[in-house]
Amino acid sequence: MPTLKINGQSYFSDSPPDTPLLWVIREELRLTGTRFGCGLGLCGSCTVHLNGQAVRSCMVKVGEVGDAAVTTIEGLDPADAHPVQKAWVDLQVPQCGYCQSGQIMQAAALLAQNPNPTDKQIVEGMNGNLCRCATYPRIVGAVRKAATMMKETSNG
Amino acid sequence: MAKTIEQGITRREFLVRSTAVAGGAFLSIGVGPSLVAGKAEAAAATSSYTPSIWFTMTADGTTTMHIVKAEMGQHIGTAFAQIIADELEVPWDKVKIDMPLESVENFAIYGLAYTVNSGSVTTEFDRLSRAGALGRIALTEAGCKLLKAKLTDCHAEQGRVIDKASGRSIGYGEILQKVKLDRTFKYPDEFKQVKLKDRSQYKIIGRSVPALDIPAKTNGQAKYGMDVFLPGMAYGSLVPPRSRYKSKVLSIDDSEAKKIPGFLKAVKIDDSIGKCTGWVVALAETFPAAVKAAKALKIESDPGPYGKLSLSDIMEEFSSLADKPQESAAWVLEGDVEKAIPAADKTVQAEYTSDMVCHATMEPFNCVVQHASDDSWHVHIGTQSTSFARMTLNGYLSQVLNKKPEELKIYVHQYILGGGFGGKQDYDDILAAAYCVKELGRPVKLIQTRESQFATSFPRTPTYHRMKAGLKNGQLDAMNHDIVCGWMGPRFAVGKQFNNGTDWLQLDSVDGKKADIDQWSIGGSDHWYHLPNHRVRAWNSDRTTWAVQASALRTVSNSYNMFVVESFIDECAHAAGRDPLEFRLAMLNGKGGNRGIPNAGYAPGTGSDYYMDQLWISLPWPQDKSWIPYESGTVGGALRLANCLRVAAGKAGWGSRKLPPNTALGLAVSSAEERQSPTWVAGVAEVTVDPATGKYRINKLTIAMDMGIAINPDNVKAQIMGSALWGASQIMSERLTYKDGAIEQTNFHEYLPIRQVDVPEFDIELIESGRHPVGVGEPASTLVAPAVANAIYNAVGARVRHMPITPQAVLEAIKSKKA
Repeated sequence: MPTLKINGQSYFSDSPPDTPLLWVIREELRLTGTRFGCGLGLCGSCTVHLNGQAVRSCMVKVGEVGDAAVTTIEGLDPADAHPVQKAWVDLQVPQCGYCQSGQIMQAAALLAQNPNPTDKQIVEGMNGNLCRCATYPRIVGAVRKAATMMKETSNG
Repeated sequence: MAKTIEQGITRREFLVRSTAVAGGAFLSIGVGPSLVAGKAEAAAATSSYTPSIWFTMTADGTTTMHIVKAEMGQHIGTAFAQIIADELEVPWDKVKIDMPLESVENFAIYGLAYTVNSGSVTTEFDRLSRAGALGRIALTEAGCKLLKAKLTDCHAEQGRVIDKASGRSIGYGEILQKVKLDRTFKYPDEFKQVKLKDRSQYKIIGRSVPALDIPAKTNGQAKYGMDVFLPGMAYGSLVPPRSRYKSKVLSIDDSEAKKIPGFLKAVKIDDSIGKCTGWVVALAETFPAAVKAAKALKIESDPGPYGKLSLSDIMEEFSSLADKPQESAAWVLEGDVEKAIPAADKTVQAEYTSDMVCHATMEPFNCVVQHASDDSWHVHIGTQSTSFARMTLNGYLSQVLNKKPEELKIYVHQYILGGGFGGKQDYDDILAAAYCVKELGRPVKLIQTRESQFATSFPRTPTYHRMKAGLKNGQLDAMNHDIVCGWMGPRFAVGKQFNNGTDWLQLDSVDGKKADIDQWSIGGSDHWYHLPNHRVRAWNSDRTTWAVQASALRTVSNSYNMFVVESFIDECAHAAGRDPLEFRLAMLNGKGGNRGIPNAGYAPGTGSDYYMDQLWISLPWPQDKSWIPYESGTVGGALRLANCLRVAAGKAGWGSRKLPPNTALGLAVSSAEERQSPTWVAGVAEVTVDPATGKYRINKLTIAMDMGIAINPDNVKAQIMGSALWGASQIMSERLTYKDGAIEQTNFHEYLPIRQVDVPEFDIELIESGRHPVGVGEPASTLVAPAVANAIYNAVGARVRHMPITPQAVLEAIKSKKA
């Protein structure tokens, strides 16, 4: 029975080790903010962090997670106030909202790696995340804004 | 499904009442006992006062707006709440929203819960305003009494009733706690007399307040249908059926599936009503086990009547149908194109085609169905067809359970949708899940995999168009547009043949035959250019409709007809040697039927004048036409469209900017959604083409839209951007193909919606003319395809008459130009 470290808590899962992490997270452990979109790592809706790296949870088998720290949208910030989340609300990014957990997790990982991305780097970094409502222009704007907010925080 | 909304609902009064409840009181507006007539199923629900159609106010002043429209990214709840709150004079920070449960009883109160056609704001703005105003009037009268003031001295402002003589005031909450409100408003007289605010008095309408549904969409807390868990619930995964429609399951071998831990059973869905044909669902304790089991099932199927049909056969049939004018139905008939075209100085002819596309919502179809211990059925889902889903499930279950429809109690619990785009007005999944519940005796959560979702998607029909125009003295004198496609109406069981000869949704042809004509499949061809001679003829390929399960996709037929009309208009302008901007403006002169008639549709007698209201009505409103509740979106007509075009062309620098090589601008206008409910919008695409590869990039989109009043301008801009990118996606890369009865694409490596790298720059101008507000979530999507096609032509001289436009098609068009 694998033990999973998700959002700083320990969970036990009795799913077979070849089960996609996505389904353990959302259906077994009921952290439903992580969304199912394609099952083949093509859309990014199920993006979570594995030791801080953005991964498609539909492509990670639960048996492969081991001791790695899993972070889902619910655990991104204790007050749901990560700069990326704040920027997402400020710029009114979501429409239907379904892909946005994945977009936010992708953006947060991107900024953790590169706090000062150019627009081109944002576009390339976010290109794997589909948004059928096509909120793309506001996503880029919000990543930019989050980067600024993070800089101000670290300077201040 | 049509009959259920035929009954007119006559109302005589609305009641504004407050009710004492534990810990306070609440205020609501409801319909009185006499208000719902002629409806057996409604009678029980209205034998007494029925509270709260539009909103409920509690004694702390918190006001919850009840939103019957589906929340699928348009932030409709926020828009509706803004409209009510403004007239009601409640402070915005006291406003909440919720979604009513769909049931027989609530249908009688809230009316049809159905979200389509960009019609929500258009149809509801006036009634929501009046509902808010009624509440304000009742509260003002009561507050005035409590203040012992003169009514003429009192007014309501931001949740308080103020006596200007004494300067004293009392809060709405306090009023509710102190007195019992019981105020009746006679319908329609007192409704008509309600004085609505002048636009200059709006405080919340027109403000970009943050959308109420957004915070939950940034922290994982938003609840979609898939996020429901019920005790004892099993999971279902659909095996992609052999054919899109009418395959037949002959045998199921579950010997391999049985080896999968957690597998419960394979259920062959009862498809006797013509839905879920050839469906087998694997049921298991977990979803991953259900997916594995679905893959392990060995199913033998008869491919059915469409098993050998492919897209190429469909296109051949379309072309041969267009050779048979006697089988067509006329949609537009003005002047005489048969005489005018041969008499023209110059003629222009072209064939256009468009491929199938599908909704591919990020949230695949899913639902949770439960048969509760009290024998009621509960569906948890995010759907555009909340009411129709309940009605269809009622009919289906009565058949499979062999019960009378009225014996069944069905409730649809509505959640937000992870995208809709017209696709979530079908609900086969609910029927399948309910059938699984019957077979298993446990609640079932059915989730479509992306593969089963593509296999059972509801595509936009492929289309075939023959265009012919006659030019005289450099003017467009005549235009004939022949359209062949699969009409979606019959699949939705609309039209006379389904409704005992009464018309619902299908309109009559204008050629004397009075044949059914499917507005949803032809609309958009009835453009707003003034021409002496104009004809549109339409053919239905019924086989296509059923074979591919043709459906409505964002802007419905406008998505292909605007591409064809606006590309062809450009062809005509070039043939006439005229500037495409000036050529269009000369015809957008608001003459004849294009002047736009207040509260009237296209040609009187040919269409329903109050189309939107008759079809998408949410109660309560009269269907007897005794009073036309709101100004038609057509007011101002083509002149408003011309205005948008001038603004967009001006902002984009049409004719005044020097552009890099192989780069050009292309124009288009659109009046989607329907002739009776236009949103005026014009756009300019700047495109760069690589003549060596045919690859092109949309650099910039400039869009100007006149939506009358922008309820929430920031959201209007978001909707315009999103829908325009939907249009960009359609012209650049989306394509669904059909072979041997089945859809070929399986996932997002084969079906390619637009991604970040292809997003252009935007310049959006909102033109608030102050006219009746109309829908903004779709219309801009229709501009982009023709604007891009026209820009490609202007850049490299390549005219591509097919949607989508592939680089290969651009290359071929460049070559054929040289040849």
